[in-house]
Amino acid sequence: MAEIRTEELLMNIGPQHPSTHGVLRVVVKVDGEIIRDVEPVVGYLHRGTEKLAEDLQYTQIIPYTDRMDYLASMINNHAIVNAVERAMDLQVPERAEHLRVIVVELNRIASHLVFLGTYLLDLGAMSPFLYAFANREKIIDMFNRISGARLTFNYMRVGGVKWDAPEGWVQDVLDFIAHLRKEMNMFHELVSGNEIFLERVKGVGIYDADTALNYGLSGINLRATGFNWDLRKNKPYSIYDRFDFNVIVGEKGDCYDRYVCHMSEIVESMKIVEQAAQQIPDGPVMGKVPKILRVPAGEYYSAVEGARGELGLYIVSEGKDKPYRMKWRRPSFVNLQILPKLLEGQTMSNLIAVLGAVDIVLGEVDA
Amino acid sequence: MVEFFSWLDKPLELSTFLNMVIGAVIVLAFILGVVTYTIYFERKVIGWMQWRVGPNRVGPLGLFQTVADVLKLLIKEDVVPAKADRTIFLIAPIITFFPSFMVLAIIPFTATHIFTAASNVGVLYYIALSAMSILGVVLGGWASNNKYSLIGGMRSAAQMISYEVPLAMSMLGVVLLAGSLNLVEIVEQQKQFPYVWYIVPQALGFIIFLISAIAELNRTPFDLPEAESELVGGYFTEYTGFRFAFFMLAEYVYVFAMSALGTTLFLGGWEGPFLPGWLWFAIKVSACIFFFFWVRATMPRIRTDQLLVFSWKVLIPLSLLNLVITAVVKYLI
Amino acid sequence: MFGFLKGLKVTFAQLTHKKVTLMYPDEMPDFGERFRGVHKFSPEKCIVCNQCARVCPTSCISLSGSRGGDKKLHIDTYDINFEICILCDLCTEVCPTEAIQMTDTFELATYNRVDLYKNIFWLDDNRKKDEGILEHGASAGGDK
Repeated sequence: MAEIRTEELLMNIGPQHPSTHGVLRVVVKVDGEIIRDVEPVVGYLHRGTEKLAEDLQYTQIIPYTDRMDYLASMINNHAIVNAVERAMDLQVPERAEHLRVIVVELNRIASHLVFLGTYLLDLGAMSPFLYAFANREKIIDMFNRISGARLTFNYMRVGGVKWDAPEGWVQDVLDFIAHLRKEMNMFHELVSGNEIFLERVKGVGIYDADTALNYGLSGINLRATGFNWDLRKNKPYSIYDRFDFNVIVGEKGDCYDRYVCHMSEIVESMKIVEQAAQQIPDGPVMGKVPKILRVPAGEYYSAVEGARGELGLYIVSEGKDKPYRMKWRRPSFVNLQILPKLLEGQTMSNLIAVLGAVDIVLGEVDA
Repeated sequence: MVEFFSWLDKPLELSTFLNMVIGAVIVLAFILGVVTYTIYFERKVIGWMQWRVGPNRVGPLGLFQTVADVLKLLIKEDVVPAKADRTIFLIAPIITFFPSFMVLAIIPFTATHIFTAASNVGVLYYIALSAMSILGVVLGGWASNNKYSLIGGMRSAAQMISYEVPLAMSMLGVVLLAGSLNLVEIVEQQKQFPYVWYIVPQALGFIIFLISAIAELNRTPFDLPEAESELVGGYFTEYTGFRFAFFMLAEYVYVFAMSALGTTLFLGGWEGPFLPGWLWFAIKVSACIFFFFWVRATMPRIRTDQLLVFSWKVLIPLSLLNLVITAVVKYLI
Repeated sequence: MFGFLKGLKVTFAQLTHKKVTLMYPDEMPDFGERFRGVHKFSPEKCIVCNQCARVCPTSCISLSGSRGGDKKLHIDTYDINFEICILCDLCTEVCPTEAIQMTDTFELATYNRVDLYKNIFWLDDNRKKDEGILEHGASAGGDK
């Protein structure tokens, strides 16, 4: 039988597309439904955060970090204040550290809930999205009470946090965690056993730990392959060494493992929040800091475990109140590199399943 | 009155022709109303399942929401993309839409089926006509000259061809039991000994029917041709205004028609105690429609290859098995 | 094999769940006292120290003042450009006299870019509205 000649189709998925989670453009060559070649095109949301930072004082940079990974602003805040505090060798009061851990872990939960919701929405299930967002909304409301904003919190300051927790806030957090435990059960019943969901994610987008390390992946994308690496455990910063929690690792490194890791990490974060909320001491929330922050001349790198991986910050300082150069190691950007490798030979429907599971936030990819 | 409208066994004269036209127009208007509130019902049900209120602004309880939506679509500009195949692009929605209304001719709404053609090939007629709709979908996907539309149209073709077969075969079980292709006759048969609806002897057939019906209707979890998160809008990505409305209308008419067909074949049609026949029919159809929406609120979307594999390797063998068992049992009894 | 049935059960059970949505704009959300919305400004408190303008990361505040008869600085103009304001709250944080503060107004959408430049009168009116001196929806003096 003679070969039928078929033409390859060049498709632009995005930058305006319901499932690219923002303004990502993926140029794919498809042969029927089979993907032959993929090229992610980034930069549509580039705002030059790093360049802008060179002209700003350290406190002024904090609101800009809110806008990078806008699903986990607290973690970005933490990354920069942690970096400056380490560079300047500042002490942070105990209460502030505890508040930071609570909001950071709550934000991690919120971010993972968004992942779960949008991922299921990408796969075509509507309801989990609404359930996840309704629960995230409760976290956002709590952040609103403590920081005054619902997305761009700008809550942390070098040397502490901006506000102390309002009255009853810590108790509300504990109540919410108890409530979320029940909701997570519901989520498991609704999604984790669904055959169609399992068919779509099991064995899709597999890579092993070596590949992940070679591509520089971090966070859940790395842990899903079974590689145990979590900065909160391996290079403890803040007061994470005081809490009892497990690092979740996957087995095979497919989309299903990444889904399971997200689900389990929510549970681990809930544990941390509970411990921090129970141990929280009284006291000031702002340490002694100089009026104008001047990082001593030199080069500094410090990283925190973001919701999507290692969120690193490299500061080159000349001893002035503004950084000479600031480089963000943005996990989404690094994780996105593996997309072409994962997608070659897959079908069009898998494109969305794989892209969703890599879990990128375009604000962070383009910064 | 009933006498006047029973045109079935009269010769074709002006008066009977007039009756037929009036009947068709009444059914059409009725169906438009049904579709309007099917959409409303869908949005409300899915809203409630997702902790939302659903439409609530236009009219009391949002009852006129769909009317407003349709009005908006009707007064929109009729855009035809410059590179589209103009003629085909324009007629594709009509090709999809016409059969969807035509299949309603054989659905027996009540015992005194005034406007129903009690055709002797009812089941066959339904299958044949509903298969025509797919032409419009494929043509629309092709003519739009949009890559998403094209993929959506092609997926749709593959899906429909695969699921027509189990759908038809699941109906054949009922046809065997009733010994007739006439839908009215099938309902009448369910009233007689052993006084059970065909859902009982044909449980497997009913499940196959439901699954293939959802696939045939392009609804979640089989809504690949219009998979929003992958193909933006699928075959109607480029359609706007009233042509888009035609596609949507066809889709929801089919939801009603398929539910009505399922009700007739498996749930005893208008038959039921105490309440009048039309009410029973309405209740059963609503239950079927509710089930479709319920599934939509729960399920993720299946993948194309899995969809085809599921049809050819699972549903078709099962429906064949069902058919053989039915035939053997029927022969033995 | 039939894990999806559990899912169907879950969604069915949600039919009677309490609705989580808000009937905006009939019901307005309560954002609490710390909410960082559009600013309010009290001209009489301002000492024209210029700290807010300096700390603003996007430089969206511009102000000018002059010395009055009592040798004290008085504010003359105070403009915030809400096209670029990111509502980060740093200006209220540095203000020594609490002249510039934030309200829970959050609806900024307009048909015209020019409407997003808020001047001293608008900001003062916003304060009055926030403190209940002026009625909500009333547009006094300074719309620009």
